[in-house]
Amino acid sequence: MAARGHVQDPNDRRLRPIYDYLDNGNNKMAIQQADKLLKKHKDLHCAKVLKAIGLQRTGKQDEAFSLAQEVATLEPTDDNSLQALTILYREMHRPELVTKLYEAAVKKVPLSEEYHSHLFMAYARVGEYKKMQQAGMALYKTVPKNPYYFWSVMSLVMQAISAQDEKLAQTMFLPLAERMVEKMVKEEKIEAEAEVQLYFMILERLGKCVEALDMVRGPLGEKLTSELQSRENKCMMMYQRLQLWPECNALSYKLLLKNPDDWQFYLSYFDSLFHLMDKSWSPPNEEEHCVEGPVQTTVAEAVKFVVDRMEEEDKKESRPLRGPYMACLELIHRLRQRGCPDEQELGDPLELMLQFFGKFGDKPCCITDLKIYLHLLPPEQHTQFKNRLGELVPLGEVGEDGFGFPGDTKALQRHLCVCQLSRVLGLQRVLDTEGKLCLITELKAHYHYGLQFGKSCLKTELQFSDPYCLMVAHVYIDLWTETGDENMLWQCLGVLEEGLSFSPSNAQFKLLLLLLFCRLGAFQPVVDLYSSLDAKHVQHDTIGYLLTRYAGSLGQFAAASQSYNFSLRFFHSNQKDTSEYIIQAYKYGAFEKIPEFIAFRTRLNQSLHFAQVRTERMLLDLYTEADITSSLEESVKAMGLCPEEDDIPWDNMRDNRDLTVLFSWDPKDRELTEEHRRLSLEEESVWLKVRSLTLRLLASLALLGHAPSSRNSDKTNENGVSAKSSTLQTLLSQLDLTLQTAAQITEKQTQYPFLGPPSSRLATALSSGSCHCQASALQLSLTLQELETTGLDDSSELQTQICNSFKSLIVQLQELLSRCKGEVLEMKDSRLMTQPSLLETLVFFVETVCVVLWVASYSASVLRPLKSSLQKKKKKKKDSSTAMPVVLSGFQEWTGSLQGIVTQALDHVKGQEASLTALKLAALTLGVGHAQTQEECGFTRAAMDKVQTSYLGSLQELGDLLRKRADSLKSLKF
Amino acid sequence: MTTLRAFTCDDLFKFNNINLDPLTETYGIPFYLQYLAHWPEYFIVSEAPGGELMGYIMGKAEGSVAREEWHGHVTALSVAPEFRRLGLAAKLMEMLEEISERKGGFFVDLFVRVSNQVAVNMYKQLGYSVYRTVIEYYSASNGEPDEDAYDMRKALSRDTERKSIIPIPHPVRPEDIE
Repeated sequence: MAARGHVQDPNDRRLRPIYDYLDNGNNKMAIQQADKLLKKHKDLHCAKVLKAIGLQRTGKQDEAFSLAQEVATLEPTDDNSLQALTILYREMHRPELVTKLYEAAVKKVPLSEEYHSHLFMAYARVGEYKKMQQAGMALYKTVPKNPYYFWSVMSLVMQAISAQDEKLAQTMFLPLAERMVEKMVKEEKIEAEAEVQLYFMILERLGKCVEALDMVRGPLGEKLTSELQSRENKCMMMYQRLQLWPECNALSYKLLLKNPDDWQFYLSYFDSLFHLMDKSWSPPNEEEHCVEGPVQTTVAEAVKFVVDRMEEEDKKESRPLRGPYMACLELIHRLRQRGCPDEQELGDPLELMLQFFGKFGDKPCCITDLKIYLHLLPPEQHTQFKNRLGELVPLGEVGEDGFGFPGDTKALQRHLCVCQLSRVLGLQRVLDTEGKLCLITELKAHYHYGLQFGKSCLKTELQFSDPYCLMVAHVYIDLWTETGDENMLWQCLGVLEEGLSFSPSNAQFKLLLLLLFCRLGAFQPVVDLYSSLDAKHVQHDTIGYLLTRYAGSLGQFAAASQSYNFSLRFFHSNQKDTSEYIIQAYKYGAFEKIPEFIAFRTRLNQSLHFAQVRTERMLLDLYTEADITSSLEESVKAMGLCPEEDDIPWDNMRDNRDLTVLFSWDPKDRELTEEHRRLSLEEESVWLKVRSLTLRLLASLALLGHAPSSRNSDKTNENGVSAKSSTLQTLLSQLDLTLQTAAQITEKQTQYPFLGPPSSRLATALSSGSCHCQASALQLSLTLQELETTGLDDSSELQTQICNSFKSLIVQLQELLSRCKGEVLEMKDSRLMTQPSLLETLVFFVETVCVVLWVASYSASVLRPLKSSLQKKKKKKKDSSTAMPVVLSGFQEWTGSLQGIVTQALDHVKGQEASLTALKLAALTLGVGHAQTQEECGFTRAAMDKVQTSYLGSLQELGDLLRKRADSLKSLKF
Repeated sequence: MTTLRAFTCDDLFKFNNINLDPLTETYGIPFYLQYLAHWPEYFIVSEAPGGELMGYIMGKAEGSVAREEWHGHVTALSVAPEFRRLGLAAKLMEMLEEISERKGGFFVDLFVRVSNQVAVNMYKQLGYSVYRTVIEYYSASNGEPDEDAYDMRKALSRDTERKSIIPIPHPVRPEDIE
């Protein structure tokens, strides 16, 4: 090999232009240039690979692949080819081929550190842990560098983590890993902190906590320096696992003296204290309690410790820390739980909380802090507590309107905190309608008054008085849900829109507006609101549900498609992205991050939202395109849908939704509970199952239609057909079972907190009859399939059955349509009323029409050949007297009725559009009853307009789709 | 009061109350994973007693030791609105500085939007000074140049003469830094 140095390899120079073209996205030129080069230099393999990259990027995957394989079979060992092939395989999503490539390369060049290391990383990318272990070791033997040795050790740990059999992990992989590290320890070869971290990880996983502790405390532990308090944290972890309460207590005590604000150590301090008390532990030695120092074992000591910490803070000139005061409340809480009378020594919780408010009432988090301990107050003290808090809020003179206002932002924050506390305590809920309206007036006055403090705020900052506005909205929502008075909702929208005009970055305003518009069935304004939140990447998984739950179900198909795409793009990049960083974690020795990254990748892959959007995306494409732009069968094939395949991890579904993203100051009994979360996930999963089965059934139907139907073809064909119909049969019975479960779930009528998860579409899907109508349509396809095998002769029973199904489907569709009738928006007694459920039902109607029409299309494909063979027979016999078989006349009648229903639906949509357009919202007098200002009315009107426009948009999209479906019906006649 | 601990991947599912702030960027997964893989000790989150995430800091160590440019860098620092005015950002900065001290860094630096007066003032209070202005460092989501940044620095104990923070009088372009 020629010496490298500064002398450039002539091949590098030749290849350079191709690289440049590829880098600039000029794939065509790259291919041309490669061809030119290959004419002159036939053996320049890398040029072939670069050409293949160009082909791959221009969509010629097959050509690219075979070209790449030409080079790969030669087992290249030049850097250029290897790297280019690695890039190509990665772009092809075939990382396993990279391993083959480097396996061959290390065989040919066994001393290459580079190739061995590439091979290790190639295995890491595909998660071949055993081979990684070997590759790491081979690498270490070639070049004895510590990291390589520990890559091999870590691969053993990964084998342990991924082992199905925990016993294998505990008796084979981990002990082997331990021995490998011990060997290095004995030979005093441990160099890096990462190596010690890995040793700790192994011991911890083996449950060898004593050994782990000794190691951390010993000389090896001295290497743990990067992370702050790394040794202390690891010791604490082991103390807790070993239930070494004296050490745990003493260490917590020490750490709290150092930082009296670190909450986790108060918890471990109290935990250990009570364990020690329960065991009546006493120190074996008066001088030294334990290795970590003095241990505290009595409530008196704990009380003194906490009181001392508070006194320290009281004395401080600088800003006091909240930790000690919160710890005091926590200790009371724990003592009370144990029925220990000593809590009195700490003082009355009411007084302590007042004291806390005195110190921290001007901090926005005061409410979040106190909320945790409000249960320490008996309910009869709530009002007194609120009044005493009120005394601590400096407000100005009471003006004409009866309110006094804060003079600065600190006073404002205190006043706000009292309002928040009284809401949390349920003191707002008990007010009657009049009382709530007065409260709204008061809060609004405070809101508007407080705006003056934020006049100089930048657009990106929040207004100090924003939380008042949000609370007004919450009280309006209370009123709306309690009285059903929709005016409350309109005013709520108005006040939030107004809030947003003063504080355009307030995410809470946007989120609540978004939720309210969705509940109103108006999706259009939601698109802008969501995009102004600038939610990206992982946020598509955590809050994407706010969009995807509603877009499609409200008939905004274009917006739905877009929102599914946002989410899907994120999920699809996950797999590739994470592998890259698993490799980086090996390189940098961040071993504890490797299982974490893998768990993270799994969590995203098993996301409920991911499964939902990929299912809904495909369903939506079918509803809007199949049999319109291309046949159902083509659509199904283009999606790569296979009815037998179920790729949803039903048993391990992860609910990554952030269900508390909307602020709430609701009382505890109205907060989101774990039970709510469980029920919501259960409901969403069952709904997903219905949707996923529907999708697979449609795929199955599409492939039924594909089966060649000539009756004299051979038996294999028949087997093929029967396999398909048995899939259909299986899926139908699964759907049937799922719908039974679904019915049980909807019977429970679970109500979630208003600001919690939205209900799924399940209840409406069932009550509208949509699910059952779709199921019977799909069932019909099975009967038709039977007729196809039996033929027209001797099948009168079957034919009657089919005709009955035709009729029954018409009845079901008719009922479904009748449930859509009514005014989605109307003015009554100068009130604006909405019925968004009509819109949701209409969407279900349209979806169901699509399914029925696909079945009709399949029916036509079955009946057409039967009819023509019948006509042939007739001609032969010259017999014109035989009556038409019932199924044929039944089908003709059916398509006529279907046409009729679609026309009716179109008329309904047109009617709705007309009455919506005719609705003159400007004629509505607003501000009656509790006066809204002129400005507020303006915002309310704007919100009303948005709802009206959005309804029109939904109707338009639904109408368009129905018209296209009506057209497709014409092709069914024969 | 606050629990301070290492940021983990699972925190990405819980940080909305911090990241729905207009000046806090939500990066793609690779960005976070890169920091977690390379500088896990520099990625710290604080948690409230109720389990809410309060804020986090994300940083790294970089630069040449030979040229006395080895330093700690603050990539992101953000505190949720309801946990502001508690000195949390200062605490997180203190931790990042401590880690950088241990690594033998000469200084800590960070970039901040020129318009973000609240942040600029806070950093000044924490002992940072403007080292230079970087022209059009920030770009809008459409890729258009958006705003200048201050490159602010604070010397660490290794830089005894505080050479690293002597301001550069002329603004620089993003491509000229590092």
